[in-house]
Amino acid sequence: MLKYIVKRILMLIPVLLGVSVIVFLIMRVFSPDPAPIVLGQHATAETVEKWREANGLNSPIYIQYFDFIKGAVTGDFGTSYYTKTPVMKEIMSRFPATIELAIAAIILASIIGILIGAISAVKKNSIFDNSGMILALIGVSMPIFWLGILLIILFSGILHILPSGSRIDPLLQPYGGTGFYMIDTLVSGDMEAFVDAVKHLVLPALALGMYSMAIITRMTRSSMLDTLNQDYIRTARAKGIKDGRVITHHALRNAMIPVTTVIGLQLGSLLGGAVLTETVFSWPGIGHYTVECILKSDFPVVQGIVLLIACIFVLINLVVDIFYAFLDPRIKFSKKEA
Amino acid sequence: MKGNKRVLALALSAVLTLTGLAGCGQSDKSAGSTAGASGGGAKSRAQDTIIYAQGADPRGLDPALVDDGESGKVIVNIYEGLLKYSKDSTQIEPSLAEKWDISDDGLTYTFYLRKGVKFQDGTDFNAEAVKINIDRQLPPKVTEDMVYAGFVFGSVKDVEVVDDLTVKINLTAPSTPFLNNLAMCMGAPMISPKALEENGNNVNEHPVGTGPYTFVSWTKGQNIVLKRNDNYWGEKAVTTNVIFKFIPDNSARVVALNNGEADIIDGIDATVVQQIEGSGNKIYKAQGMNINYLAYNTTKAPFNDVKVRTAISQAINVPELVQSLYQGYAEPATSVLPTFIPGYDASIAQVAFDQAAAKAALAGAGVSKLHIITYTNPRPYNTANGQALAEAIQGYLKNVGVTATIDAFDWTTYKEKVKAGDYDICFYGWIGDNGDPDNFMNLMADKDPRMNVARYDNAAYKELIAKGLTIPNGDERNKVYTDLEKMAAKEAVWLPISHATTLVGYRSNVKDFNYHTTGVIFLSEASKD
Repeated sequence: MLKYIVKRILMLIPVLLGVSVIVFLIMRVFSPDPAPIVLGQHATAETVEKWREANGLNSPIYIQYFDFIKGAVTGDFGTSYYTKTPVMKEIMSRFPATIELAIAAIILASIIGILIGAISAVKKNSIFDNSGMILALIGVSMPIFWLGILLIILFSGILHILPSGSRIDPLLQPYGGTGFYMIDTLVSGDMEAFVDAVKHLVLPALALGMYSMAIITRMTRSSMLDTLNQDYIRTARAKGIKDGRVITHHALRNAMIPVTTVIGLQLGSLLGGAVLTETVFSWPGIGHYTVECILKSDFPVVQGIVLLIACIFVLINLVVDIFYAFLDPRIKFSKKEA
Repeated sequence: MKGNKRVLALALSAVLTLTGLAGCGQSDKSAGSTAGASGGGAKSRAQDTIIYAQGADPRGLDPALVDDGESGKVIVNIYEGLLKYSKDSTQIEPSLAEKWDISDDGLTYTFYLRKGVKFQDGTDFNAEAVKINIDRQLPPKVTEDMVYAGFVFGSVKDVEVVDDLTVKINLTAPSTPFLNNLAMCMGAPMISPKALEENGNNVNEHPVGTGPYTFVSWTKGQNIVLKRNDNYWGEKAVTTNVIFKFIPDNSARVVALNNGEADIIDGIDATVVQQIEGSGNKIYKAQGMNINYLAYNTTKAPFNDVKVRTAISQAINVPELVQSLYQGYAEPATSVLPTFIPGYDASIAQVAFDQAAAKAALAGAGVSKLHIITYTNPRPYNTANGQALAEAIQGYLKNVGVTATIDAFDWTTYKEKVKAGDYDICFYGWIGDNGDPDNFMNLMADKDPRMNVARYDNAAYKELIAKGLTIPNGDERNKVYTDLEKMAAKEAVWLPISHATTLVGYRSNVKDFNYHTTGVIFLSEASKD
């Protein structure tokens, strides 16, 4: 097992190198020159040239890439062209917001998705099943930004029970700490702030999690149906085990194996899907920020964020694979046991 | 081994379920307690806080290192310059300098500074501080990313400290707009020399000025919090806290206003006015210091011929176009200069709409096709975006027998295309920097094709521009700019289209904020009932 994990972590290196080459080239080939954006409308050609020189943009591209990798290895992604702030600082001031949102979304999506999926399978072709599947269909087809705007209009605009966006009332905002407001407000014992943070989290998490919820619902349902038709389920029932226990212990657990992968992959893609949600809900995460930086040709920031996300995506997949082994004892990773 | 795994799996699912249940419980509770949280103890503090919502984070809060409007709005509440604009125009008034003399040759400006002014960090504001602030934006200290250094201080030779409260600025050539530059929110505001030293010459995240508000915090992507400066030399700010909140989505910003999560919002267009007013909130219309225009490529046949340019301009009914595109939230432009800028004259008129004459002239000149490039994003001077504008013009041209092809690009790519120069007509706009007429009229004399998009090159025009720089402010100087306006109109270099009105939405209990024509907001007098 340990060997497998080490091997997988080592495999991270070529993946990240590949990603870094691609993002590096895409930014430089397809993005407009950052100099006029950074230096503004009054910049002379001479200033532009000087600035490009100072930021290494006049060197051959492989040297630029090499310099970038040299920095990245030591965790130094450089300084944002636009704000003159170190890239790591820019990323870290926004990253907890995205993680908090993605985790809230995946928890919400998993609970609702597995619940609806499992019940739909058990009560196949019932009204519950049909409405569950319609809900799932809506979930996969509805664009996040539209759903987000609808939620805002309903819950903030008309009902006035939830805020329309951002993470917390600025007057209650925690300072310092981890950057995860759920944790920071709890640690400081400020319950008013905690409740306010939760209220701010509900709508964006729902909007962001909707698609994943639909996928998880469908996956659980089909996987459950599959499992319920297995011989061992019939055997279990024949042994006289209670129906509820058969469903939860025998069927659901086995049906969860493919669902786990889906949840893991969804968590990764939620980080990407956060772009739209963050814009609609003024959520101060890296999703919306990335788009801003791409539009401003802020190369160092975009490179840093893409590498970070790639890294997290690969690590999540690794965790999912390891989790597999616990859910299904037949799956072993070391050669000896296979 | 197998047993262990099962236990672990069970434990993990238990944790997952528990976390889930806890999550559900919290959501329910939160929805229920909303009413309670918004009332009660927080109220008095909320009353003493003004929340201003804008579309994005500032680029930074070091006035020498930024060039965007979002930064400007925060900066003017923290910092002050030697001079300031009057409340409703771009006339200059004393600020940190109480008075000033200009030498007869126009080369030496002596400023007499206000006594007893302190920076928010407790250090003294004096002549030495002025010198440090200007010197950092002059060679050899200036860096390329001091975006406005060249614009504001480009004509400065050096700065001399005469005594603690007197400072002399020597120029390399007379430049009347220099005084207006000193009132700008970019480059000119005075930063505490101590803060500059402590923060490595970059106070983007640690601003310290002399203004009515002191910086408290900046949570990226969320908000900037300012607090009243109780040691302010002038009239102290009325409201204790000011929060600039960042809401990127336009419709979400409107909901935030209507929902009471923001007191004032900007970056809105005509389409949401009803929604805002329908919720009992108000709209403030500020005259914009901008111009939205069509430019001919005057270097390229057949548009190097003034007759062809005039004919195309004749084909376009500007007032009708402006009304239909901007629904009354932009003024049809009769001149390049906005009406409140010195040099504007009501007698200036552009080429009048005359479809028949246009048709005849264009047929005579054999012009039946032309190439338009434009931008797809809305711009502050053109909230309807460049494509909508280009398509409207395309329609007018069709009526006079000219087929226009339109290539539309996103703003950044568009600027590259403009620089490349492959177009007959392009659309552009300008947001004034310093409220001086030269700032607008020089656009047709600039040698940089990214500024002078008409690529207009006329010796007489350039001569007048040079003259305007040396004459002191007053009637004689204003006449120079009126003449320039008339020359540009006669030559049909541009077709000025509109001056956009800036719309600000605010809650009905908010009063006395000053949204200035330069596009920044002064909040020190603002309060809530």
